[in-house]
Amino acid sequence: MGFSMRYLDMKAKIREIRINAIKGIAEAGSGHPGASFSAAEIMGVLYFRILKHDPSNPEWSGRDYFINSKGHSAPGFYATLAVAGYFPTDEMKNLRKFGSRLQGHPVRYSKYLENHSLPGVEYSAGSEGIGLSVSIGIALSNIIDNKKNRVYVLLGDGETNEGQIWEAAMTAPKFKLDNLVVFLDRNRIQQDGFTEDIMPIDPVRDKWLAFNWNVIEINGHKIEQIMDALNKSGQIKDKPTIIIANTIKGNGIKHMANNPQWHGRAPHHKQSPLLIQELEGDYMISPSIIAGEKENYEEKIRKAERAGADMIHLDVMDGKFVQNTTFLADTIKKLRPITNLPFDTHLMIENPYEYIHEYIDASCDIITVHTETCNEEQFICIRDKVLSHGISLGIAINPETKLPNWVFPNLNSIDVIIIMSVHPGFSGQKFIPETTSKIFNLNKILKNHGFKGYIEADGGIDASTVQQVYDAGARIMVAGSAVFSNSDINSAIIQLRHKTNVTLERNLLRKADENNIRKDWLVARKHILIPLANELGIEDEINEL
Amino acid sequence: MNSSVKFADMRSAYGNTLAELGMINKNIVCVGADTTDSLKTKKFGDKFPERFFNIGIAEANLVSIAAGLAMTGKIAFASTYAAFLPGRCLDQIRNAICYPDLNVKLVVSHAGLTVGPDGASHQQIEDIAIMRSIPNMKVITPSDAVSVTRLIKNIVDIPGPFYIRLARPSSEILYEENDSDFKIGKGNILREGSDMTIISCGLMVYKSLQAADNLKKNGISCRVIDCYSIKPIDRDLVIAAAKETGYIITIEEHNYIGGLGSAVTEICSEEYPCYVKRLGIKDIFGESARDSELNLLLEKHGLTEKEIERHVLSTLYRIKNGNLS
Repeated sequence: MGFSMRYLDMKAKIREIRINAIKGIAEAGSGHPGASFSAAEIMGVLYFRILKHDPSNPEWSGRDYFINSKGHSAPGFYATLAVAGYFPTDEMKNLRKFGSRLQGHPVRYSKYLENHSLPGVEYSAGSEGIGLSVSIGIALSNIIDNKKNRVYVLLGDGETNEGQIWEAAMTAPKFKLDNLVVFLDRNRIQQDGFTEDIMPIDPVRDKWLAFNWNVIEINGHKIEQIMDALNKSGQIKDKPTIIIANTIKGNGIKHMANNPQWHGRAPHHKQSPLLIQELEGDYMISPSIIAGEKENYEEKIRKAERAGADMIHLDVMDGKFVQNTTFLADTIKKLRPITNLPFDTHLMIENPYEYIHEYIDASCDIITVHTETCNEEQFICIRDKVLSHGISLGIAINPETKLPNWVFPNLNSIDVIIIMSVHPGFSGQKFIPETTSKIFNLNKILKNHGFKGYIEADGGIDASTVQQVYDAGARIMVAGSAVFSNSDINSAIIQLRHKTNVTLERNLLRKADENNIRKDWLVARKHILIPLANELGIEDEINEL
Repeated sequence: MNSSVKFADMRSAYGNTLAELGMINKNIVCVGADTTDSLKTKKFGDKFPERFFNIGIAEANLVSIAAGLAMTGKIAFASTYAAFLPGRCLDQIRNAICYPDLNVKLVVSHAGLTVGPDGASHQQIEDIAIMRSIPNMKVITPSDAVSVTRLIKNIVDIPGPFYIRLARPSSEILYEENDSDFKIGKGNILREGSDMTIISCGLMVYKSLQAADNLKKNGISCRVIDCYSIKPIDRDLVIAAAKETGYIITIEEHNYIGGLGSAVTEICSEEYPCYVKRLGIKDIFGESARDSELNLLLEKHGLTEKEIERHVLSTLYRIKNGNLS
C-alpha cells in the first residue's frame, strides 16, 4: 500500500467500532445500525490513521476536521470516537438516553451543551444535506488563515437527494478547495428502500465529474482502497475530491446487510451477544502465491484479487532457515504496484534482524518473523523498526515450537501469530492434525494475556481443514494449493468461505440455544441459513418457519 | 432628533460599516448570494477579496457556509434579501447555526412591504415571527441608517447568531450619531408621554413619531419607543410603559401575528395585563406598488401615521366611555 499504517491493528479496531455500535443500539432499542456499519471502515481509517487529531485535546487548532453529514450514522460515529480515545467505550450504553451526551444525532460540542454533546464532534447533524456546505465554510476559512488542515466529509447517498448538496457541489470547485475530501457512502439504501427506486442518483460518478470534482471510486469496506484513495486525493491540486465508496448497508452482520429493513431498526437486545460473536468471527483468506503451477506471481496476485482474496500471503524463503528458496524483498518491491491488497509477508529466513529494513522498504503491510530465527533482543529491535513504520508485526512458530516466554510481554505490539500447520519450506504438504488443538490452546492462553490480534493458520488449509482451524480460533487462513492448484480460483475461495461460514452459523446457533432465542434467531437469519440448512442439519426447522 | 429630516439608506450604512469593521477585525468574513451589489457588501469584498465569497443564488448553501466559517472562529456575515433567507433557510438556520450557537450574523434587506414593485413574493412579512422562535437567535430591526451602523458595530462583539432586518427604501434619519448606545436587549424612548405608548420598529418608528407629534398638537401625550431589539426584548421598558401609560399600540411592517406586537403582548399578559393594540399586516399577502405608490400600499395595510392616530384616538374614546378598562 505504501502507507504508514498497521493494517491488522486498524482492522481489529474497526471491528471494535461495529461491536460498540451494536451494543449501544441494542441497549437503546433504536438507532441506525445499517448506516453505522456501511461507514465503519471509512470512519475507522480516518480516525485511526489519517486525521490529524488529538483525543485529549479535541479543540487543538492544528486538527483536521471530520464533518459527519449523515447524522443517522451516530452509533458508528460515537463508537469510532470512543475507540479512538475520546470517551470510554462503556458510555456507549447511554446512547439516545435522556440526559446523555450520546444524543440520537451527533451534536457539535460546546460549553453550553456540554451535557448533550461530546468533545470531538464538530457538527450537529440530523437534518440531511447541510454538512457539505458547512465543510466548505471550514475549508475556506483554512485557506484564509493559510492553514494546511484538511476537511473530510461523510455524505450518505440518500442524502444527495437534497438539493443543497448540489449547491455545495457547484461551490467547492469554484473555490478550488483541494483541502476538502468527501466520502459518499454509496450503500444504495435509504429509509424507504433502494436509492435507485426512491430517487435514482446514478450515474453518480458522472454527476460529480460534471460538477468538476476529482472523482475516485472504491470499495468502501477495503481499508487499503480507502487509504489509496486518500493518498491520491492529497496529490490533486485546485480541485475537491469525492471518494465514491461503494459499501453495503449493515455490512458485518449478514442478515442486516443490504436489507432496507435495517436502515433504522434496532436488533433485540437478546440478540446482541450473537451479533457480537458474528463480528468477532470475521476472518480473512490470505492466498499464498508460491503454491500451484509455476506461473508468474503477478498473474496469481491478479487472479486472487479478482476472486476476492483479503490479502496476499508472501512466503519468503532463503534456502537456509528452510531448504527451499522462493523470493526476497526485491521481488516483493516489484509486485507491490500490482495491487492494493495488503501484503502478508512471512519471513522464513535466517537472521531476519539483518534484512528487516528491506521488507519495510518493500511496503509490506504485515511482516512476520519466526521465533526460531531471533532472540528476544533481536525481536525487540525488529519490533521497533517495523512498528515505527506503521507496519503490522507478526511472529510465526513451527509445528514443534512452543511460544517463547518473551512473546508474552510483547503481545501488545504483535498483530498476528502464525501457527504453522505444516513444516515450512514447501507448499502442498498435508495438514498436521495436532495443530488444531495447538491453536485452540494457544488462543485461550493468548486471550487470557489480553492478546487482541489475529491467529493465522498456515499450511494444508483447504475445504477439509478450514473448519477445524476456524473453530479453534484462527481468523486468517493461508491457503496455498487449495487455491492455486485449483483450476477455478474463484470457486476455491468461495468454497473456503462457505465452509467457514457454516462453522460460524453453527456456533451462532449454539449461542442462540444458550440464550433461549433459537426460534427468533432462525427467523431473523432465515435467508442466510436457507442455503446452509442441509449442512447445518436444520432443513426441517427452516421449512417449518 | 433632527429638526430638518434627512434621508439615508440602511444598506449603504451596513456596507460601509462592514468595510470599516473589516479593517479593524480580521476575523470578519462576508458571504453573499448574487445580491452583493444590492446589499452593499461588495464594498467589503473589494477591500478584502480573500474574506469575501459570492455563493451565487443558493441561500441554503450561503447560510451553511457561513456556519462553517463561524465554526473556525470567524465572524460570518451572510446577506441577501429578507424574502429568501428566514423562510427558505429556516432548517439550516435552526440546525447549522442556532443549535450550535454559532457566530453568524444574518443581515437581510428588503424586509416588509416597502420592497414595493417586486410584489408579494419579495415582501417578507413573516421573518420576525420565524426568527424569534428559534432558540439562541437574536432579532434586531433598526429604524434608520444611524442605528444600523451602531447596531452592526455592537453585534460584532457579541458571539452567537443574529438576524438583522433592514428595509429597502432610503429612509428618514432619526438619530444623531451618539443619541443612544443601542445596547442589545434595550429599546429607546424617543418621545415621553403619559396617555398611551406606541411601540414600533423599523420604518414604522418614524410613522409613530409623526403620529405622536400630531397628537401632541391636540393635547394627547404619547410615549414612542423604538424597539429595535425584538429578541431579546427590553422587558422593563415594556412593563414600565404598561404601568405608566396603561395602554399600548404596536406597529410593525410585518404580519401582526408573531412579530413585535406579539412579543409585547406576551410580556404584558404575564407581567402587567393591559390593552395592547397590534397594528401590522392583517395576515394577508402584499402586492406590487411602484416606489411612488409605496404610501398607497402602506395605507392599504394600515401602516401610516394617520392609522396610528386613529387608533390612539379611538382607544382613548373607548376608555372615556368605559368600554375599555
